[in-house]
Amino acid sequence: MGIREYARNSKAFQRLLHHYNNREEAARLFRQKGGKVVGQLGADVPDELIMAAGMFPVRVYADRDSKLTEADKYLEFSFDPVIRAQFEKIVDGTYSDIVDYLAISNSTDVIIRTYLYLKEIRRQEPEKPVPPLTFIDWLFTRRMLYQVRNEFTIDLFRQTLEEWSGRKISDSDIEAAAKICNEDRTALREISELRKARKPRISGSEALVIIGSSMFMDKAEHAELTRQVAREAKDWPEIDAKRIFLTGSAQEYTDLYEMIEKYGAVVVGEDHDWGDRYYERDYNTSYSPIRAIVDRYMLRSFSSKKAFVSQRVQALDEAVNASKADAVVFYVNMYEESASWDYPSQKKSLENRGIATKAFVKMAYPITRNEWLEDNLKKFIDSLKE
Amino acid sequence: MHNDTKRANEPTRARKSLQATAVASAYQKEWFNGLRARVEAGEDFGYLNADVPMEILRAMDIPFVVNQWWAAICAAKRMTPKYYSLLNAAGYRDDLCSYCATALAESLDPDDKISGPWGGLPSPTIAITRLTCDCQSKIFELFAKNHGAEMYVMENTQPRKVPPNWWELAEDRWEELYDKDRLDLAVEDLKALIAYLENKTGKMFDINKLVEVMNLINEQEMWYKKIRDLIAKTSPAPVTVVDTINAVMQAQWQRGTKWAVEHAKSLYEEIKSFVDTGRSAVPDEKLRLMWLGRGLWHDFAFYQNFEEKYGAAFVWSMYLAMGADAYIRNNVEADPLRALAARYIGMEDFLHMPPWNANWFLKEARHNNIDGVVYMVPENCMQAVEGSYFIKKTLEDAGIPVLLFKADPVDSRKWNRDTMTGLVEDFIETRIIMGGKK
Ligand code: SF4
Ligand code: SF4
Repeated sequence: MGIREYARNSKAFQRLLHHYNNREEAARLFRQKGGKVVGQLGADVPDELIMAAGMFPVRVYADRDSKLTEADKYLEFSFDPVIRAQFEKIVDGTYSDIVDYLAISNSTDVIIRTYLYLKEIRRQEPEKPVPPLTFIDWLFTRRMLYQVRNEFTIDLFRQTLEEWSGRKISDSDIEAAAKICNEDRTALREISELRKARKPRISGSEALVIIGSSMFMDKAEHAELTRQVAREAKDWPEIDAKRIFLTGSAQEYTDLYEMIEKYGAVVVGEDHDWGDRYYERDYNTSYSPIRAIVDRYMLRSFSSKKAFVSQRVQALDEAVNASKADAVVFYVNMYEESASWDYPSQKKSLENRGIATKAFVKMAYPITRNEWLEDNLKKFIDSLKE
Repeated sequence: MHNDTKRANEPTRARKSLQATAVASAYQKEWFNGLRARVEAGEDFGYLNADVPMEILRAMDIPFVVNQWWAAICAAKRMTPKYYSLLNAAGYRDDLCSYCATALAESLDPDDKISGPWGGLPSPTIAITRLTCDCQSKIFELFAKNHGAEMYVMENTQPRKVPPNWWELAEDRWEELYDKDRLDLAVEDLKALIAYLENKTGKMFDINKLVEVMNLINEQEMWYKKIRDLIAKTSPAPVTVVDTINAVMQAQWQRGTKWAVEHAKSLYEEIKSFVDTGRSAVPDEKLRLMWLGRGLWHDFAFYQNFEEKYGAAFVWSMYLAMGADAYIRNNVEADPLRALAARYIGMEDFLHMPPWNANWFLKEARHNNIDGVVYMVPENCMQAVEGSYFIKKTLEDAGIPVLLFKADPVDSRKWNRDTMTGLVEDFIETRIIMGGKK
């Protein structure tokens, strides 16, 4: 199934797919018109603030087949393959004519290190094309002390954006931007409902495109197109397949989803940053702007990197319930270790509730390098049908 | 010399020459037995990651053990292969976070009381870690659960300010060293920890006790500074890292006690007497080497492999030098919690962040007249990832060759002494000797 003809025939979906496949196009256009673009490395750089500054947020992602000359030179082996590929693009100049600045969030350990390295490269080797950068030092442990600290941190980010954009960011600028982001999230939730329905109308591959395109295009336009797709998809045929929930490494492309969906299964949900987690939790408009940003990014569902095992077990159980999944696939890239500590407890909890699980760990990147994967996935899906 | 008793397949045990090491080894065992007795009598018992400000527990007289110290004990007792197989059997990967996960693995051992080091680890009631990497809190939570302990975590922040010379500011001018808001937060974090511990143990925190603890630490570290300087200026060196790492680390985990001060002093006196009587570790010292990375707890003899053949002595490791440069905080009376904050938040920056670490290594390499650096980058630890490119570059730009290799400090399954020896020999021959420094 993957991306079906019904989706491909939809004008609105076509637009989203276009931006998903041509990820830099909107940013370049924005820049050509004199706007400034902020690259986002990490999943917790608030779009709302960048938009409030009149700038365009665009997510840094990995090229699947780039040569990793710079990454091999600067990074240790324990940097996972996705961040290596992202780092490569930042240091080899790919982003030079796409972004003006880079905002990096403390979304996982490896990104902190990457930030430090980029900062050092800028300091020691200024001839390298690394854009000016800033770091958002989020703390994700849920205590008031850290929440207050996060407000300080986000205020610093606001100031940095003011410097970069050369204009003051007012509270109403933030509220206006937040309204657009909330609308986009609401639209994405409509998609989610169709996807998680007893009889799904949207496949995982389609959902991934719809969600992911938001990271590269104008959010208001994205919201509009997404609503349009949701309206149309109500009439798309129901998908009758085994329901899979995916957890583990973020999937920046649909490859894995398409592989799963080729064999009579559908990915009904995921907890990584390029899927459901992206549009979870709204900006609370009844809070003051900085508070609302902190609330949104600090308190959405636990990421696999910044949470305790018990939190992850509970979060996964709940997400699997909500998506009515039959089985869970754990998929973890090589050197993305932290989720491996959650896995045995999660597996136990899921299996106690009759949910089948299958783990793929230490995976090579991109997924095509794991030749045995497709076969094993197929076997697993077949076993669900028995 | 040191391999005359070697049996087939058994790595040579490192020669131990210092009395202070023997004294510390004996003491820590005795101390551990005392601790066990207290735990068995029902006292709360803390298990801490190395980056947790243990000074608070010391001041509150709450018995505690440090994770990394215990991992080193387990490694020295060669328990790690067994422990990793237990992890594996429980569904965990056995190739991750070996250093930090040793005690978690041990907690899966049903025979721990019989076969564990020194009768095994008594069950802690409190497990405290800092969020300095993504895995630590997960490992600590699992560990705590297996022991029926409570877990407590403290956060970690990143510096915005990067002073080029932290070691000059650390002792007195820490307000210049750090962003003010980071220090403020760390103090609040300490207060929260204190409140938690008071609640949990029923003991009240006494700020004067903390002052006492901090001053004892200052005294202890001052001896390390003297030792570091003495070794730096004495060639041939009186001792090597094989002598100092254990002697220093064992006492570092006891820091804040009178025993530790006395021990550091006796260590100094012992080494000083070597210098005074002309005794040296490698009499024919031709090359002075620096060891970067965590200690090779399971194979200390490795460090001595190059003495006879090349007159190459490993004279520097971070353990002694960190004591010398990173711990002292003067005038703690003015604001003891802030002084402590100014110590514990810095360790991450000093050790694991370029350029804080690289600049310091260079300063230390020069101070110790180092000819070459052997740098072990752990393969499976994100926290210990510290900008090896920048470290190597900083040192080599200053004319000091660096050999960089990957190895796991605790997991002896991956350790191949012959390969590593070959690498270091080749490095000494081609980069140092033929490179023309000496
Ligand atoms: S990443 Fe490193 S510091 Fe963190 S738990 Fe693993 S071994 Fe320990
Ligand atoms: S000094 Fe280094 S090796 Fe020792 S506990 Fe601290 S970080 Fe770990």
